[in-house]
Amino acid sequence: MVKKLQGEAFLLSANELRTGKVVFFTKKGWSSSTREAIKIKADEINKYEEISIREEKKCKIVSAKFVELDDAGNIKTLRDKIRNCGITIKI
Amino acid sequence: MYKYSDTDKKIIASRVKQFENQVNRRLEGKLTEEEFKPLRLMNGLYLQLHAYMLRVAIPYGELSSKQLRKLAFIADKYDRGYGHFTTRQNIQFNWPKLPDVPEILNELSLVEMHAIQTSGNCIRNISSDHLAGLTINEIEDPRPWCEIIRKWSTFHPEFSFLPRKFKIAVIGCDEDRAAMLVHDIGIRIIKRHCQVGFEIFVGGGQGRTPIIAKKIKNFLPKKDILNYLEAILTTYNQEGRRDNIYKARIKILVQELGIERFKSLVEENFSKLSNKELEIDKKSIEEIFQYFRLPPLKSSSDKIPLEDNQEYKNWIKQNVIPHKIKGFSIVQISLKEPKKPPGDATSNQMKALAKFSEDFSFSEIRVTHEQNLVLPHVPNKELFNLWSQLKKENLATPNLGLITDTICCPGMDYCALATARSIPISQKISNHFNNYCKQKEIGNLKIKISGCINACGHHHVGNIGILGLDRRGEEFYQITLGGSAKEDAAIGEIVGPSFSETDLIDAIEKILNTYKKHKKNKGEDFLSVFRRIGIKEFKKDLYDNFTEKS
Repeated sequence: MVKKLQGEAFLLSANELRTGKVVFFTKKGWSSSTREAIKIKADEINKYEEISIREEKKCKIVSAKFVELDDAGNIKTLRDKIRNCGITIKI
Repeated sequence: MYKYSDTDKKIIASRVKQFENQVNRRLEGKLTEEEFKPLRLMNGLYLQLHAYMLRVAIPYGELSSKQLRKLAFIADKYDRGYGHFTTRQNIQFNWPKLPDVPEILNELSLVEMHAIQTSGNCIRNISSDHLAGLTINEIEDPRPWCEIIRKWSTFHPEFSFLPRKFKIAVIGCDEDRAAMLVHDIGIRIIKRHCQVGFEIFVGGGQGRTPIIAKKIKNFLPKKDILNYLEAILTTYNQEGRRDNIYKARIKILVQELGIERFKSLVEENFSKLSNKELEIDKKSIEEIFQYFRLPPLKSSSDKIPLEDNQEYKNWIKQNVIPHKIKGFSIVQISLKEPKKPPGDATSNQMKALAKFSEDFSFSEIRVTHEQNLVLPHVPNKELFNLWSQLKKENLATPNLGLITDTICCPGMDYCALATARSIPISQKISNHFNNYCKQKEIGNLKIKISGCINACGHHHVGNIGILGLDRRGEEFYQITLGGSAKEDAAIGEIVGPSFSETDLIDAIEKILNTYKKHKKNKGEDFLSVFRRIGIKEFKKDLYDNFTEKS
């Protein structure tokens, strides 16, 4: 999962296996909100990658990835913002 | 319309059962995602940015009212009340849950539909002209040939794991309404010396290497079609690259070998084929043609009702075209209502359309590759009545072929591959050029928008093409000019540096001003002017004194 990650802080995110819903890793498990998501430092990536592998094996989540945060602690890229907030258009 | 044989029914039912088993094993942890992914893709199930997406096949874009009603039911029960019609005449549901998918597939099978071959490196759903069988200048209806090819290609053991995906389109007249020349294989029905056969094109495609297909066969007798396709696919399977995903499509192979060398390899394979089973006799062809007979349309001298209503008049002018049977019309329904994502239809709209098709069009609906729908056989005398009802459902937008009739991929709002959003761009264009008179003044113009280089929004063949890019984390849009997906197919030329979302509409206005300045007469459309004056004039007007707003 870890591919040339740049940046200093991340959230661990994934899609729920059953629903495909975007979720973030918190101290209490997976949540659809980023509010309680654990902020991961660059040197902790390996530890959380192991967690994501374990969680995938439990059939809770799929397609785990690290979401980069900016200096203010907000999600950095537009793609990840859309992943978190949902589509930007009215249906 | 084609009806499933007992064999078709058995195949689809067993496939649903098989996938149900695979999903259960995945949910129980007996299959890893790595093992499951190719299985779900073979059943049209993707995992996108924030949900699963199920792509359902609509073979050659033909639907019955019963099928459309079922799609509406699926949208309501298992999704969020809408579906998205794609540029390959399919429909996508954006929010299904994994445990529900076998049930959805089972529901689809009840109305003879499925999601097979809508993904993966196989021969995909065969696409065709949405006006097949309806127009006077057609040599022969292409749909029976699409069905014959579908039967041959479905679960073809040799061609289920090709180097890359493979798309085939078939058309039945000189006019290309199916973007046939940007398919891996394009087939045009032609008549030579009183004999009907096929002209075959190969190696077309879009994506990061857009190429117009090259002619490989001037005339192929009908009986040989499957053997010849088998020869092309065998050649591709043997020679195509599997080491590099970006070089694996047949277009790259044809380009690398050259059309003459590729052709000689195909001819060699063709001559070796002793597969008599694939030769089609007249009787089998006639049997398939029976399914595609026109409904009982009685020609009449009924004229289109004249009503003193400008909106209705605009709609007649823009969206309605003559049927080959006198007294009937073909009604094109725009899914490009302002402020709505292009190609989206709500479940209520689907249900209404199913009803209208039963009331006015012998229960038949067609899907176009330009993400619109068609009611193919509407009696002229019913047109005002139909328009009034379509209007209530927001399905009477009079913009077919005009600037707001954009083609657009889902872009970064849904797609995990996209580098920028495309739907908001389409909506901006739609809002800016909403006025019908303004659109008419601009004339026929195809704007096509893709959210990444994979070109699902066909930007390469847009008269104006827009490609969304990620420039240092910001969305930017590159413009191409002069593309065409029709019989005069061409790949658009990049006009210059890309524009921010804020500057894009101004840029389009400038391009249109250049067009207007050089237009010789009212009838000269954008593409003709572009071909006459070239890209330089557009470039000059677009970039001289240009200042970025953002």
